[in-house]
Amino acid sequence: MAHTITESCIGCTLCQKVCPVFAVTGELKERHTVNAVRCVDCGVCGRICAKGAVLDSGGKATERVARKEWGKPYIDEALCSACLICVDACGLNCLKISRPTYQGDINACAYLADSKACVGCGICADACPLRCIRVRKAGTA
Amino acid sequence: MRLPNYAYIDLSTGTVKDYPISKELFTQYMGGKILGAKLLYDLLPAGTDPLAPESIVIINTGPANGTGAPSSSRFNMSFKNVLTGGIASANCGGRFGVMMKKAGYDGIILAGKAPILSAIEIVDGAISIRDASAYAGMDSEETQEQWVRHWGKLVIGPAGENLVRYACAVSGERVAGRCGAGAVLGAKNIKAIAAYGTQKAEVQNREKFDPYVKKWVKFLKSHPMTGKSLPLYGTAGLVSSANASGVLPTRNFQKGRFEHHRHISGETFAEQHLTRNSGCVSCPIRCERRVMVNGKEVKGAEFETVGLFGSNIENHDLAWINEINYHADLLGMDTISLAGTLAFAMELQEKGMADLGVSFGDKDNLLDVIEKIARREGIYGDLANGSKWLAEKYGGTEFAIHAKGLELAAYEPRNSVGMGLGYATSNRGGCHLNGGYLALLESIGVLTLDKHTPKGKPELCVMFQNLMEAVSAAGFCLFTTHTAVPAGLFKLGSMHRMTKFVSKALIGSRFLLRPLWWCLPWLLPVNLMHLIPHSKAYGLMTGQRMTAGKFLQIGERGFNIERMFNLREGLTAVDDALPTRLTDVPQEADVPESVVPLAAMLPRYYKVRGWDKNGVPKPRKLKQLGVR
Repeated sequence: MAHTITESCIGCTLCQKVCPVFAVTGELKERHTVNAVRCVDCGVCGRICAKGAVLDSGGKATERVARKEWGKPYIDEALCSACLICVDACGLNCLKISRPTYQGDINACAYLADSKACVGCGICADACPLRCIRVRKAGTA
Repeated sequence: MRLPNYAYIDLSTGTVKDYPISKELFTQYMGGKILGAKLLYDLLPAGTDPLAPESIVIINTGPANGTGAPSSSRFNMSFKNVLTGGIASANCGGRFGVMMKKAGYDGIILAGKAPILSAIEIVDGAISIRDASAYAGMDSEETQEQWVRHWGKLVIGPAGENLVRYACAVSGERVAGRCGAGAVLGAKNIKAIAAYGTQKAEVQNREKFDPYVKKWVKFLKSHPMTGKSLPLYGTAGLVSSANASGVLPTRNFQKGRFEHHRHISGETFAEQHLTRNSGCVSCPIRCERRVMVNGKEVKGAEFETVGLFGSNIENHDLAWINEINYHADLLGMDTISLAGTLAFAMELQEKGMADLGVSFGDKDNLLDVIEKIARREGIYGDLANGSKWLAEKYGGTEFAIHAKGLELAAYEPRNSVGMGLGYATSNRGGCHLNGGYLALLESIGVLTLDKHTPKGKPELCVMFQNLMEAVSAAGFCLFTTHTAVPAGLFKLGSMHRMTKFVSKALIGSRFLLRPLWWCLPWLLPVNLMHLIPHSKAYGLMTGQRMTAGKFLQIGERGFNIERMFNLREGLTAVDDALPTRLTDVPQEADVPESVVPLAAMLPRYYKVRGWDKNGVPKPRKLKQLGVR
C-alpha cells in the first residue's frame, strides 16, 4: 500500500521536497502523484500538506503537524555498531558516522548531523538491525 | 519461502524478461557465486570466448544482502574468467547489491552486446537500457557522479572499456576486482549499471532473526580479530606477521621477507597515514582504511595491494602505494593482477628478456605506466594482458607468478604450503580466498600450524574452501569467519602451549575431516554460533531448516559445480599447478623444505574431495551432492 494525493493538491511542491524516498513527483501548481512502488508509508507528505490532500495507505485523510512537533532520531551510542545502514538508508543525507577523537580511536557511532534536513520519517530506525534508533519528539521519552 | 527474482537482459535486442529460479535451484545453490556458477554452467555454451557477445555475465546477490545481518552487503559477479578461461566470480562490498535488491531484483543475467556504450538502470522493479556514450573514457569516480548519491552504482573505468584483461568493476569505492570483471562488462558495451529502490529485503523469521543479529554483532565486536585488530590496523596489519613468517612476497616472489617491511606495516599505516577507519554498509567490523591522497579522503590500500605494490616491487613508500591504489580504482584495474604483472615485467627486464618500461626499485614512472596500460598504449598494451600472456610471448614461465593464469595474491606460499595448495586448486585461479586462505592458520594468524608439512593441509584446505564458498554465496563477508579461531587463543598468544596444542590438533584432525564430506549433512545437525554463525542466520532469513552440515554441503556443491565448469572449459588436473619457482626452488637456501610440495598434497586433496586421480569429481560424489 502507499500514500496517495487527492484532487485538493495545489501543487505547492512541499511534499516533494520532504519525501525521503523521492516518491512524489509533479510540477509546480499541478497535482502531484506518489509512486506507489517506491512509497514506504512514512507519512511525511501527510504531515506537511496544508490542504489535507494526502491519504494514507488505508485511504484515511492525514493531518498537518507543525514541523517543530516532528520527531528526530535518537541513537543509542552504546549499542550502535556504526554499520552505516542508517546513513545509507537516509535519502536526505542527515546521518553521519562520528569521527575518531584521537589517533587509533575505533569507537564510532551514527549521529544526526543535519537536524534541519531531517523530517523524522523513521526510515533509519526501521532499517537499524540492532534497533538502537528511536524517533521521538524532543523532550518526550 | 520467497524465491529470488532474476532478470535476463538481452543487450543486443534491448529486451528484458524474468528468469525464474526454481525452489530446488534456490535451496541447492543458495545464491551469489554458487548459484551464479550453476546458471553459468547451464546457460553458457562450452568454449565461448569470455569477451564475445555470446558470453554471459551474471550479477547477483546472496540471501543475506540487505537483511541487516552483519557484513552482508557483498554481491557477486559470475562470468567466464578472462585470464584463465575457467569460472570467475568477483565479490564486492559496494552499495550496488543492496540497492539492486531494494529495486526488486536478486540478480541480473546479461547476454548479448549493446550496440553502443550503454548504461542499465534498475529502478523500482523496472529495467531500462540507455545510451551512455557521453561517459566514454570517464574514470570510475566521474562515471558514478552521473547518478545521484543515493543510487547504487556499478561502473567500469577506461581499463574496462579498453578490455584490459584484469579490469575491475567499481561500486562506490569498493571493487569487484579479480578475473576481469570490468573487461566482461566493457566487452558488452556496458559502462554502468545503476539501481534505486525502497523495497525491504524479506526476512522470514524476523522475531528470531533480530535478536540473533544483535548477539552476532556483539560477538564480532568482542572478538580480538574482528573487534580490535581489523578496525585498528585493517588488513595491512598482516604485513608484520607475514614478514616474520616469510610469506611477504618480495621482488616478484623471489623472497618472503622485506628489509623495509616496517615502512609498509599496518602499524605505520595506522600511525602515519590513517585518517579514520570505515566499512562497507552493514559491517560492524569496519576494516576499511581512509587516507588522504592529494588533499582528498579516499579508500586506503588493503594488504594485498600493500604487499604487491610494496615489497613485491621493492618499494616502501606507503603514501605512494595509497596513491597508486586510488588511481588503479579510478582507471578500473585489479591491483593484485596489475601489480603482479608489473613485478613479472620487472623481472623480465632484470633478466634481459624483455624491456617493458618498468624495473625493480623504480616506481616513479608507474603512475604514468598504469594510465597507459588502462588505455593500452603501445608496448604497455602487452602488460594489459597479464602475466600468463606475457610469459607465453617473452618466456619466463618459471617465474610468472600465476595459477591457471590469475596472478597470486600477496601470500608467498613457500612458507605457507597449504596456501600454495589453495592457489593451485582454486577454481578461479591464483586466489587466496577461493583457495581456502590457509595462510591465516599457518603463517599470519595466531595459530601456528607447521607451515612446511603437507600433512593435514589437503583436508583443511577442502574444509575452508567449502566454508568460504558457502559464506560468500550467502552474501556475507569472509571476515566474519575470523571468529572461528577462539578469542581465548589471542589472549594467550601464538607462543603459548595451548595455542600450539590447538595448532597440532588441527593437523591431527585430518583423520576426522577425511570422511566428513561423505557424512554431510547428517554429521553436523547443529548450528554453532562460535564456529559458523552464518548457517543459523541463513536459515532464519530464508525460512529453511538449516544446519552447519547442510550449509557446508552447499559450499561443497558450489566448489564442485565450479570445478565441473572448469573441466568443461579444458582446465584439468594439469592446470592445478604453480610456477616452478614456488614448487622447486627453496625460498630460503638453508631450509630445503621451503617449497610447495604440491605433488605430495594434490593426490590426497583429490581423494578428500571425492575426485579421481585426474581431478574429476567421481559420479558418486556428484550424485551425493545432487549436481547430476
